[in-house]
Amino acid sequence: MNDVSVHFAGVSKRYPHFSLEEIHFELPTGSIMGFIGANGAGKSTTIRILMGLVHQDTGTVEVLGHPMPADQAAAKMDIGFVSEDMRLYGAAPLAWHMEFLRGIYPRWDQSYAENLARRFDLKPEQKIKGLSHGQRVKAALLLALARRPRLLVLDEPTTGLDPVARVEVLGELMAALADEERTILFSSHNTLDVENISDQITFIDRGRIIDSDNKEAFLDRWRRLRLLLPPDVVVPRLPGVVEVGGSGRLPVITTNCFDPVMVSVCNDLGATVEAVDTMTLEEIFVANVHSRRERLTA
Amino acid sequence: MNYSMVRSLVLKDWYFQRKAIVLCLAGGVLSLGIIAFGGKMGFYLGLLLLITVMIVIGATLVMGTLVGERENQTLAFVMSLPISFREYTAAKMLVNLLLFIPFWLILVAGSLGLIVAAPTIHGLFAFTVIMAVEILMSTCLMIAVALVTESKGWTISAMMAGNLAINVIGYVVAHIPGISDGMFGTTIQWRPAATLSVLVEFALIALMLGGAFFLQSRKKDFI
Repeated sequence: MNDVSVHFAGVSKRYPHFSLEEIHFELPTGSIMGFIGANGAGKSTTIRILMGLVHQDTGTVEVLGHPMPADQAAAKMDIGFVSEDMRLYGAAPLAWHMEFLRGIYPRWDQSYAENLARRFDLKPEQKIKGLSHGQRVKAALLLALARRPRLLVLDEPTTGLDPVARVEVLGELMAALADEERTILFSSHNTLDVENISDQITFIDRGRIIDSDNKEAFLDRWRRLRLLLPPDVVVPRLPGVVEVGGSGRLPVITTNCFDPVMVSVCNDLGATVEAVDTMTLEEIFVANVHSRRERLTA
Repeated sequence: MNYSMVRSLVLKDWYFQRKAIVLCLAGGVLSLGIIAFGGKMGFYLGLLLLITVMIVIGATLVMGTLVGERENQTLAFVMSLPISFREYTAAKMLVNLLLFIPFWLILVAGSLGLIVAAPTIHGLFAFTVIMAVEILMSTCLMIAVALVTESKGWTISAMMAGNLAINVIGYVVAHIPGISDGMFGTTIQWRPAATLSVLVEFALIALMLGGAFFLQSRKKDFI
């Protein structure tokens, strides 16, 4: 069994008004990667390249051991894909879709599909055009999960869902993880969703991956230090500072490689550390994006 | 080529287009009836209706199976299936031809049957065959354009070009020596000019479909 389900190496794609530049990342088998970026950051383009739907200009992509896009048909036999802009056939009922996919995927699990339909409160005989947006997303997710895919690729699946539907969808994703061989790539601009279910986080901004690590490492190494500076004491130079905010004597330092030793370093330099705040993934993402954009414009 | 996957897509499109096909077939049979029993006026009206029905079914199939996938955002669903671009192109080309050609054959056979049964219009036999193949050619143009562009606007333009071509080609064919000579006669004639015309039409069909396949294989962005 391959330890890496998705491997991107030096992938670039150029459009007249947008470029995906030098994308490198790996998705270990069995992990859930949250792929976070603002609208237009390049999440969907990256996912389309992963699915073989868009050809990269340079670089190599391997999915479940298959080179993409050349071997996309074989790779997609083991991929469940749901994207925000994907629609099912409105004129056909969910049951038709289930039957259609059953004829294509040898591992299609009909009893699991029926079980999911009950849990999602979906009626298989109902036509897709009669479903609400939330029900359509659940239907698409059902169709992706019941294929029993080794890799689940979800491109903004929770966009537009009400809170109840969102919790249900995320809960089912967690349940799908009971199978340790299953790998999930979950893209969203909603950091809370990603924080809840992912163990790996990758940030993308303006076509470049700006940071990638496991979630715990992200949450551990990002901190905000609230300092109190006596007169004549300057802001201490600390490693990994991405942002210095606050006012003159009350600076707030954001660092991406926090170490408890920093507190004593600050004290030694005459500054008082009033508080060391943990950061949410959203705060980390925003600080990360801002610091990168400032570096680029500097 | 994954034939089983191509077959699944063909059956899927048949499922969604079956009602339109049955309706158009009924319209086609009705127009043949009008041609057969409607007298001189009925002949022209029925002929017009028959040509319209053939154009409509071609357009309906192309819009439903090709342009509709993108318009209705179901293309992402189809392309998430274990299928390559080549197989998708083959499936879409096949489904359009498989659904259109039997329908076309039935109506063309009906038209030729009526001509054979009515000695006064025997001379129209060759002209009818050439124009029937022209309608097939117009449909193939629509298929090729819709496949390559996936655009409603371009497909409608191709449809309009095909419709105009019916008039232009009809006029040209009706003036080709060897076809025009016996057009209003009472004997069925099939001369080398008719064979050549049909061969040229089939060559153009092959060129359009082959060209669409070639252009599709060079596409880099499918969604």
